[in-house]
Amino acid sequence: MVEKVEFKTYREMPIRPMTVTDMLWNRTGSWRNVRPYYDFKTSPCKAGCPTGENIQRYIYLVTENDYEQAWKTIIDSNPMPAVTGRVCFHPCMSNCTRGEFDEPVNINAIERSLGDKGIENPGWMKRSKPSKKEKVAVVGSGPAGLSCAFYLARQGYPVTLFEMEKALGGILRWGIPEYRLPNDILDKVVGAIVDSGPITVKTGVKVGSDIGLAEIDKEYDAVFLGLGLTRSREIGVDNEDCDGVHPGLEFLKKVNSGEKVDPGKKVAVIGGGNTAMDVARSALRCGSDVTVFYRRTIAEMPAIREEIEEAEKEGVKFYFLSTPKEIVAKKGKLSSVIFQKMELGEPDDSGRRRPVPVEGDTFEMGFDSLFPAIGEQADIDGFSGHLETEWNLISSKGEYGETSNDKIFAGGDIVTGAASVVEAIAAGRKSAERIGRFLSKEEEPVDTPDTVVGIDDMNTAYFSKVDQNRVPRIPASEIRGTFREIKTGYTAQLLHSEADRCFSCGVCNYCDNCWMFCPDTAIKRNKDDYEIDLDYCKGCLVCVEECPRSALSTREEGR
Amino acid sequence: MKKVIMGNHAVSYGVRASEAKVISAYPITPQTHVVELLSEMCANGEIDAKFIKVESEHSAMAACVGASAAGVRTFTATSSQGLLLMHEMLHWAVGARLPIVLANINRAVGPPWSIWTDQNDSLSQRDVGWLQLYVESNQETQDTIPQAFKIAEELQMPVMVVMDAFFLSHTYEIVDLIEAEKVREFLPPYQPEIKMDVNDPHSFGNLAGPDMYMELRYMIQEAMEKGIDVIKRVDKEFEKVFGRGYGVVEAYRCDDAETILVTSGTVASTTRAVIDEMRDEGISIGALKIRVFRPFPFEDVFEILSKAKKVAVIDRNISFGGHGIFYQEIKSALYGRTGIPILGYIAGLGGRDITPSVIREIADKALSDKNPERYINWIGVKR
Repeated sequence: MVEKVEFKTYREMPIRPMTVTDMLWNRTGSWRNVRPYYDFKTSPCKAGCPTGENIQRYIYLVTENDYEQAWKTIIDSNPMPAVTGRVCFHPCMSNCTRGEFDEPVNINAIERSLGDKGIENPGWMKRSKPSKKEKVAVVGSGPAGLSCAFYLARQGYPVTLFEMEKALGGILRWGIPEYRLPNDILDKVVGAIVDSGPITVKTGVKVGSDIGLAEIDKEYDAVFLGLGLTRSREIGVDNEDCDGVHPGLEFLKKVNSGEKVDPGKKVAVIGGGNTAMDVARSALRCGSDVTVFYRRTIAEMPAIREEIEEAEKEGVKFYFLSTPKEIVAKKGKLSSVIFQKMELGEPDDSGRRRPVPVEGDTFEMGFDSLFPAIGEQADIDGFSGHLETEWNLISSKGEYGETSNDKIFAGGDIVTGAASVVEAIAAGRKSAERIGRFLSKEEEPVDTPDTVVGIDDMNTAYFSKVDQNRVPRIPASEIRGTFREIKTGYTAQLLHSEADRCFSCGVCNYCDNCWMFCPDTAIKRNKDDYEIDLDYCKGCLVCVEECPRSALSTREEGR
Repeated sequence: MKKVIMGNHAVSYGVRASEAKVISAYPITPQTHVVELLSEMCANGEIDAKFIKVESEHSAMAACVGASAAGVRTFTATSSQGLLLMHEMLHWAVGARLPIVLANINRAVGPPWSIWTDQNDSLSQRDVGWLQLYVESNQETQDTIPQAFKIAEELQMPVMVVMDAFFLSHTYEIVDLIEAEKVREFLPPYQPEIKMDVNDPHSFGNLAGPDMYMELRYMIQEAMEKGIDVIKRVDKEFEKVFGRGYGVVEAYRCDDAETILVTSGTVASTTRAVIDEMRDEGISIGALKIRVFRPFPFEDVFEILSKAKKVAVIDRNISFGGHGIFYQEIKSALYGRTGIPILGYIAGLGGRDITPSVIREIADKALSDKNPERYINWIGVKR
């Protein structure tokens, strides 16, 4: 306390009713019984991303024009944003809070823009030196293998990457058509990953036949298996081996390698997944008239919704509740297909209603080519005896791809069955981290649960409705005869306009609301954050209430 | 530059020329044009001021209090119910000694709802402690704004400039516009000795015990008493730069007048015409316009009225259960020093027109009525 001031006459008093001394002795923070504190939470996009990209952060960095840091933020959890920005099924966007407000932020398109900027700026990629002596073998150079190799190299482990084909990329190269993922983009992405650290590439070597798994196990300190699914599933009807019937994946592989393919005038594609869509749309681009046959309805199709819609827009025809019953061949060549009509029965294990044949209801159609695309299987015959398998997949216990062999890890489709690129990337990275701990004998980290925020945590009064910025694309009428990429990507203006739509859920983006609203001016604005001056914060919690994004929490005093 | 403008815009141009830095207001008929034009001036950069939009007049005055305490020239405008909603903050502005200028467009108070003029809104704020200046023309309106800032800043007291709704606010007259560059010769930029400053923290408006409160009130009264001289001097300084002055009161043909009509606002202009007409008829009559109501110019009023034989006060207001409010002040100015009869007339409430014939009726009554009700005579009431 300061001394009390006595005035002898009013002339000694200030004209205004005010204290003569300062009031610094009066620390009104002592009145507080509850305190606010900055408490950044997890945004639902990040929680929904299999590889846990810090999406809020990189979108914020875009708004700050710091593309390099934005790109590096992605690279910390995904080494190929230029790929996922094109082919990911973006569960982040299904989770986006904005989706419950107007439309989700187009995270996928933002990621692609950043991925492309990474390609334009090869200098952004940090080069890792071999700092560890333990060697790791990575088998398969699809998304899982590339991801695992990248994050192992980043830790300084010398990696040998085995690929049975002549070029790297796996499913990205052979399974995804150029109109979705151009080869030159993939080449640059793969090149950047391989050049980023001590990665030795061995192409044309099939582990399990050219070189035994046991041999690799012996030579390397740890092994990661990311082989994916490379064998097409057969329909299981007669004449499937006749001329004119080819696995869809094989067709895609030919098309993607630049081979001139003529599937003929009339093409049938069997299946409802992404491969079926890719095959159908590729055949369309080769000049064929394409019909997709799926044994359930459009609602049960596992393909990305957008891919189905685009296929329809481009002119692919669909027959639902139809499955091939018989392939009719003339002189060893496909002539027509007899289809069995189906109807939906009771739900199966996947929760989808099981298709059952409608007795006596069949129809026949003539085709030049038939491409079954009903799924792929693993090719792991060569591993038998060395690893536990189940349903022709490698069994993994734990979330890091641990197998029955301590030194061997596995991830991606080879463990999960047909899944997604991003899940394979996540699996590769997690195994790389786990392998690092295994080789350096580090303890496993303790999992801290995330607090994920949602629309109810937002103060939506601060947001106004703004439509999502669509990605510019070439018109559907111009797709025939070309494999040109459909989506041309965001312009800088669209990129920023879309980034500005992000709510930054649960994480401060320096909007200044707390700072402006604090009636006690107890919030100090620093260069990179805010600070609450608890000497003066009376605990009114206006800051917490007015934070649009739930970046503050409260705690009772004395507890 | 001369321009034909409405009274409300005369306020806006006065504020522009005074280079106010913060304007916060809430729209209300008949004041709206004032802040509408000011907001445009803020938006297009004609005036370098922050326009703070608010949700009520109470908030408008609160914003002005904050801005003025922070040490910048601050303005607001309102009317009727708006002024009444500000009441608490009007007290604050006085107690905190903040030189805010407010333009009040006199509008009758509801219910019954009325948008037309009378003075009860501003006069019901009589005891709050704001200086009150009543103007009668668009030119005087514009000129009074910079004067009000100068008076306010010198006394560290808030000033209200008061004008009639519609008869002035919406009436177009020729106004010789004053420009900021020239006004600066008269009104220098506001540089307060005390202001809120984060680098020199004090508590403002803090608790004062019985040992101090009265002294602070004494200082307010002291400022008010100094006010008449300050207003006169400021008016002279203004006249020196612009060639126009208005005084604290204006006597019209009063020197030899046996009867004097006391008026304020636009009624003063009408009264002058009636005086001329009656003088032509040989009647010894004059008029006194009261421009400054708070502080009340007791001495100036006494000096002029004490020479007359009869005084008639026209009030466009009423203190219910008392008298006309100007009437009470005049009586108080003359009390105990003369025996002149002082007659009170209530006219023109709720915007009823006070035409020359109404004023003539009042004058005739004052001259001839042998037994007037004296204190409170209602004019034109349908009884």
